[in-house]
Amino acid sequence: MTDGLDLLKKDWQRKGEELPQLSYDELYKMIWKKSSSMVKWIFYISIIEFVFWALLNLLSYDKDSLAMEKEWHIFEFSTVLTIINYVVLVFFIYMFYKNYKQIEVTDSASKLMKSILRVKRTVTQYVWFNIAIFCVSLGMFLYGSLRFGKESVQIQEAASNAGNETLFWIMVVGTIIIVITAIVILIWLFYRLLYGILLNRLRANYRELKKLEI
Amino acid sequence: MNKELEHKFVTELETNQNIVHKVCSLYTSDKDAHKDLFQEITIQLWKAYPKFRGESKFSTWMYRVALNTAITLYRKSKRRVTTQNYDSVIFKIKADEYDPTEEQQLKLMYDAIRELGDIDKALVFLYLEEKNYSEISETLGITEVNARVKMNRIKTKLRTILNP
Repeated sequence: MTDGLDLLKKDWQRKGEELPQLSYDELYKMIWKKSSSMVKWIFYISIIEFVFWALLNLLSYDKDSLAMEKEWHIFEFSTVLTIINYVVLVFFIYMFYKNYKQIEVTDSASKLMKSILRVKRTVTQYVWFNIAIFCVSLGMFLYGSLRFGKESVQIQEAASNAGNETLFWIMVVGTIIIVITAIVILIWLFYRLLYGILLNRLRANYRELKKLEI
Repeated sequence: MNKELEHKFVTELETNQNIVHKVCSLYTSDKDAHKDLFQEITIQLWKAYPKFRGESKFSTWMYRVALNTAITLYRKSKRRVTTQNYDSVIFKIKADEYDPTEEQQLKLMYDAIRELGDIDKALVFLYLEEKNYSEISETLGITEVNARVKMNRIKTKLRTILNP
């Protein structure tokens, strides 16, 4: 009896005659069509993220906030934070560009997947960095406004009048932590969903290949 | 990109388009998806072509780009449900003379291949195209030994289907 696999191979070789054949002109037209590959999607999403977070962090700043910061004694701290932000933004853009350039469709499947995941990781790190900066700024402004803001005297008086000052501050800090946690969870869920949809198959295939390496 | 390069590329593609069609048939389950994937592979091939120095055969280079596009770059549309009644050309049986046993065997094997994961499909594809293990290992980025082990497992699985 012939081996089933030989039969399969023979049948496979014969497939050629049955396959559709495109003409030179059809193929020529095709090479100018727009790609809709995964890499392109990752690229667009990354650009949107860079622009979004950069705008959020760097444009929300005006003359009023400068005066306020001085009044609240957080000017130096805020300036340092802004400088860090710029430096890190440039660093991430450089890393993103470098990793993106390394994506080569002619690499082996395993290497290609790794390069794509690396680009994605850089962008995710950038987003987490921004969330961290956002939380620190929020803490800084709350501290400034409660200590030096217009209403800070009343707030502090109200706290001592209420009798239990420690409890009041615990509640303030507690509320802040809850709000920040909620925001971070929401952002995290958003990214899980976004990259989940985009990268699920790639991750599964990459794991499959890695399993073969052991 | 000059005209000469375009012409050279399209001519080579025209001659070797079977490879791309085979990959498309293996990884998609309806005509629209086949066309979609074919187009994406063509675009990726063309984008990579200026860097193709001819150190390998055009077809060898093509296998890699086509499989990478199918496995990694191409996003399957979720709306497309695998329709079982549509049989892409690749799964149609072409036994020489009508032989019910052979036809049955082929059908079982093609059904099994269709159920395989993306990576396993790539292995089977390269095996059926009579690529050697060194080429398979380079295309997928795994060691030759592992490619061989994995392929043997798939072969055993296919044989078990035939002789349960």
